[in-house]
Amino acid sequence: MERRSFLKKAGLGALAFTILPRHVFGKMGGDNNFVAPSDQLTKGIIGLGGIGRSSNHFTSDERCRLVALCDVDSGHLAKARELAKSKFGQSMTEYHDFRDLIHDPNVDVVHIATPPHWHGIMAVEAANAGKDIFCEKPMTRTIGEGKRVREAVKRNGRIFRLNTWFRFADTFYGLGTTVEPLKKLVDSGLLGWPLTVRISGATGFAWKFFWTGKENLVPEPVPAELDYDFWLGPAPNKPYNSHRVHQTFRGYWDYDGGGLGDMGQHYIDPVQYILGKDNTFPVKVEVDAPQQHPDAIGIWRSITYTYEDGCKIILEGEGFESAGKVPYIEGPLGKVYKGFECTIPNVQEIIAELPDPEPQNTDFINCVHNRRKFALNEDNGYHSSTIVNMGICAHRLGRTLHFDPKTQLFIGDDAANQLIDQPMRGDWKI
Amino acid sequence: MKRTLSLIISIFTICGILSAQDSRERTLETIVQDVLAALPAENQTEFNTNMHDLAKSAPASVVYLASRLQPVEAGVNNLVEYAISGVVRYATAPESASLKDGVRSGLEKALETCKDDNHRQFLESQLRLMKPYSAAPAVFNAVEGKGSNARCAELWTLTDGKGEKSEKKILAALRSDDRAVRTTALLAYEAYADDDFYAKVAKTYRKLSPEAKADVIYWIGKKDVQSQIPLVLSELEAGGEIGSNAIEAAGRLGGSEAADKLVAMVGGPRSSEALAALKYIDSDITALVQDGMKKAEGERLNGLMKLASDKHMCGAAPVVLEYAASKDADLASKAAAALAGVVSASDFPAVASLYDSSESEKGTLKKAINSSLATLPADERYDLVMNHIAKASHPESFYIVLAETGSDKATDYLLARHAEGSGPASDALLTIRSMKVAPVLLEASSDNQTCLKTFADIVSEQVSEDNRKCEEYSKAFDRAVDPAVKNHILVLLGKIPSSRAFSMAGSYLDLPETSYAAAWAVKTIASKGVDDIDYYELTKVLGKAVDVLKSTGNADDGYAVDEIKGILEAAKPYELSKLTEEEAAQGFEMLFDGSDLSKWTGDKVGYRVANGCINVTASYGNSGNLYTEKEYSDFIFRFEFCFTRGGVNNGVGIRTPMGVDAAYHGMEIQVLDHDDPIYADLRDYQVHGSVYGIIPAKRLVHKPLGEWSYEEIRVKGDRVTVIVNGEVIVDGNIREACQGHNVAPDGSKKNPYTVDGKNHPGLFNKKGHIGFLGHGEGLKYRNVRVLDLSK
Repeated sequence: MERRSFLKKAGLGALAFTILPRHVFGKMGGDNNFVAPSDQLTKGIIGLGGIGRSSNHFTSDERCRLVALCDVDSGHLAKARELAKSKFGQSMTEYHDFRDLIHDPNVDVVHIATPPHWHGIMAVEAANAGKDIFCEKPMTRTIGEGKRVREAVKRNGRIFRLNTWFRFADTFYGLGTTVEPLKKLVDSGLLGWPLTVRISGATGFAWKFFWTGKENLVPEPVPAELDYDFWLGPAPNKPYNSHRVHQTFRGYWDYDGGGLGDMGQHYIDPVQYILGKDNTFPVKVEVDAPQQHPDAIGIWRSITYTYEDGCKIILEGEGFESAGKVPYIEGPLGKVYKGFECTIPNVQEIIAELPDPEPQNTDFINCVHNRRKFALNEDNGYHSSTIVNMGICAHRLGRTLHFDPKTQLFIGDDAANQLIDQPMRGDWKI
Repeated sequence: MKRTLSLIISIFTICGILSAQDSRERTLETIVQDVLAALPAENQTEFNTNMHDLAKSAPASVVYLASRLQPVEAGVNNLVEYAISGVVRYATAPESASLKDGVRSGLEKALETCKDDNHRQFLESQLRLMKPYSAAPAVFNAVEGKGSNARCAELWTLTDGKGEKSEKKILAALRSDDRAVRTTALLAYEAYADDDFYAKVAKTYRKLSPEAKADVIYWIGKKDVQSQIPLVLSELEAGGEIGSNAIEAAGRLGGSEAADKLVAMVGGPRSSEALAALKYIDSDITALVQDGMKKAEGERLNGLMKLASDKHMCGAAPVVLEYAASKDADLASKAAAALAGVVSASDFPAVASLYDSSESEKGTLKKAINSSLATLPADERYDLVMNHIAKASHPESFYIVLAETGSDKATDYLLARHAEGSGPASDALLTIRSMKVAPVLLEASSDNQTCLKTFADIVSEQVSEDNRKCEEYSKAFDRAVDPAVKNHILVLLGKIPSSRAFSMAGSYLDLPETSYAAAWAVKTIASKGVDDIDYYELTKVLGKAVDVLKSTGNADDGYAVDEIKGILEAAKPYELSKLTEEEAAQGFEMLFDGSDLSKWTGDKVGYRVANGCINVTASYGNSGNLYTEKEYSDFIFRFEFCFTRGGVNNGVGIRTPMGVDAAYHGMEIQVLDHDDPIYADLRDYQVHGSVYGIIPAKRLVHKPLGEWSYEEIRVKGDRVTVIVNGEVIVDGNIREACQGHNVAPDGSKKNPYTVDGKNHPGLFNKKGHIGFLGHGEGLKYRNVRVLDLSK
């Protein structure tokens, strides 16, 4: 915001920029609507691995221009530099330390695409610096970090988008449609109450168990291009092994939560929306899994969440799916299967007649301009992220946990509560 | 070295002091060894048993375990790590509180002597879990400076501290020129904002900047502040952002006045915004819209018809139908488009008549027909449409409607018309998703390649058996020219977890236009853990797939490459079978050593070689057989077999001609998983090893699924011997077994001399082929060899 007001008052340099003819901007691709330069946002990306460089995110257009890049792996940074040159014909300001990118006055929006053990620290830093935030899922890797991000975003009056989108767009995996018709059906009460949702290979959802860690990792030399100490940041100092970092980091508790960490928020966030439970949490989580290693994440057979009113979310691990035809969502009065097959006759026609759900704000750039909460924000994002993290805690400890939605603590289990906040290495704090 | 020594000494000391032995008189070391041997625990019961043992013998067990941690470079600590973290988790469970102190003190003691940083870090992380939890205070450190966010933070601090009393400052903040501050003010005060507060906001409203006004109006709508409906409605005509927000807020707030005003705006300059807002009005506005439609024209009429349609106002159907019959082509077209949303079953005849007579709006009116029929069962739709066809002036134009009824009767009717050469019937059939129309789709594919996509989709949805799916896809591939079609089929092929699908998809890796889809298909299949894909084929095909996926640089492809690497790491090569020295000396011949079926003939698709085995994949009911090329009279036939699913049925044919039922035209030595519950009523001459229908075998108990058994069949003259895993289960004379009457002496079909009461005309064949006789998948053979005794 300050940068734009600065631009308005600025001298010749900025002025020369503002009087560029319209067709010049037209060539920058993206949205066809002409945007006055003072309304054009700028963004910087932290973390330029697979996601940060993916075509959905490595964008620059009239509405939001990419200006800064940050990574602690100079190899990633070099690839991003090349990509920026070939895609936009532009060079970017490059940073090694995310704090420098966040405090760069030319950056309005901070896009966090690092491994999850960084999300909390970076989002809070960005919010405190007055930046708006576009954060990849999962929101944070602990419940405590999620709480602090939510607080910092709210307190600073920032706009926060958590990047998963199925609650408002795209075919929702096994459902074969967007979630909207299911939301309408559930809201109508035609399925009855309470409901059980089954997220399973049998209902069209893959849990990506290839994100499991390896035990007995032996130290390897750190590649010259990687600042491993900075990559670890708040995480415990364990000797470098290439399986710990890039992509495969998902298999270690220190950085993420395995397949559940990767896909959990994609799959569970829309369920919170469908069930109308964006403001609450399950009260119990049960897990059926082999014993877990303290460093490397393994598989699980099932994870079951129960809400106070009896609604359940059942996750079925890969290879442990219910046999036969099982419903995605089941209530006392009806069931919906994969592909939106439903036991209620003519369900599509019935849904068409039902009232539409409340409109959602799904244009992030508009949200930043108008200061409106994005459809998936620090509040509902914190809730679905916490559900994922509850499951990760139960998986890690291998036991049933009870959760108090008011205090947002586990009940009568000190060890589980120790996992809510995890110690950070060195001077890192949030 | 010194350190290790001192550790060992300290362990001995501890053991000595506690002389830890459990009720089973095991020493501490044995307890720990027993636990380590059982880790990681597969389930909760195993876990509890093992960890209970460790926790009971803590702290000594924990100290001893910690002493066994090796430097991380050795890469061997996983079991000890499982044990220590396991016992910590067990002892911190609420129900095992009494064991907690022992484990904690074990960790503390271990840390006293532990010098290795990696080990210390691990032990400390475990000790942390054992400490009582006190919630860290969630303090927000207010940010310094004068930035927009600092002002926002001030507002929160204000409302946190003063609650309702901060009202004045909140109202003042609405005059800020920073939208973030205004929004935060409303948000921070949300909990205290009652009608009184909004009345005060309304009072200062006119003094606010246009931007701030827009915020206030949006917020009133968002928070559903019913008391401020008049303020919102007064701004409906305002320009810019305020007007837009007021229209949206009016929709959210609802009520009859808002509905009236919004309906009045339809057709005006902000028509589209008003229509969007009207969609969210909950109350029934049918009468309002219906009245409006009767008087309206032009854009307003179009807008109202669209609204009626979007909101499914069935009551508006008569008015819209009237307009749809209008002579004004433009009006009729708009009305036709709106019909789909308003019609119900009772409107079918009227819509069908319009469809019959219309020329320009057929497509739109077809949608309306479908919509009117939507709530009826398929067969009722069929009846209604057929009734109409009988009196229609263009009956063939209804074929497409008929196809969309989803009734099986309609498909049959259209197939009959297609056979008579009706073009419209053929076109209509192409829209039906049923295997019944598969031949029509294949036939049409030479002119229209998209038919193949439809065909493949239907196969994917409706054919359940994997092999059959592959066969159908291969028909589509044969006809596919368009790369897009091939790629579409490859995606579907990727969903079939079978080696056949893997090979089919792999064959498209070399063509540039299909290589990408093929790479994903083979990756997807291989990731399902299909175990009958041949190791050498797997590595070759996945190697190609890696090259294809690496070249894109796309993130998802990168993940796929990693996944493939994992699969390849886990895959193991196999070795070919060899004759034993003794067999070689005796003159045995290898018939199948794991490499290929060069000495065999017959169904080489249903009998597939992979990983050194012959995998039987022939479907049930498919009598695919595999025969030796040579014929044998007296011989010793040795092989290994393995059932991979319960209830599998197969057989070894001996002295049989090809292409006939060996059980009667030769002999069949039964191969059967007779332990499966489905064979509860099996006759004794059908159990595994029996000379089918002639000599019952001694009933053996098969090894568990997935384990290999060794079988030998000796045939010399009339004597047949069958040995499985060293146990003789048949040793008899076929001529004696039927008293020489392999066929009934009286020429009848019933033979009293054989145990199955049937004629076995080929029983006394002098020679014939040896063969595997297929009755379904789920079986593997390997290491097949024969000794010809006639030489």
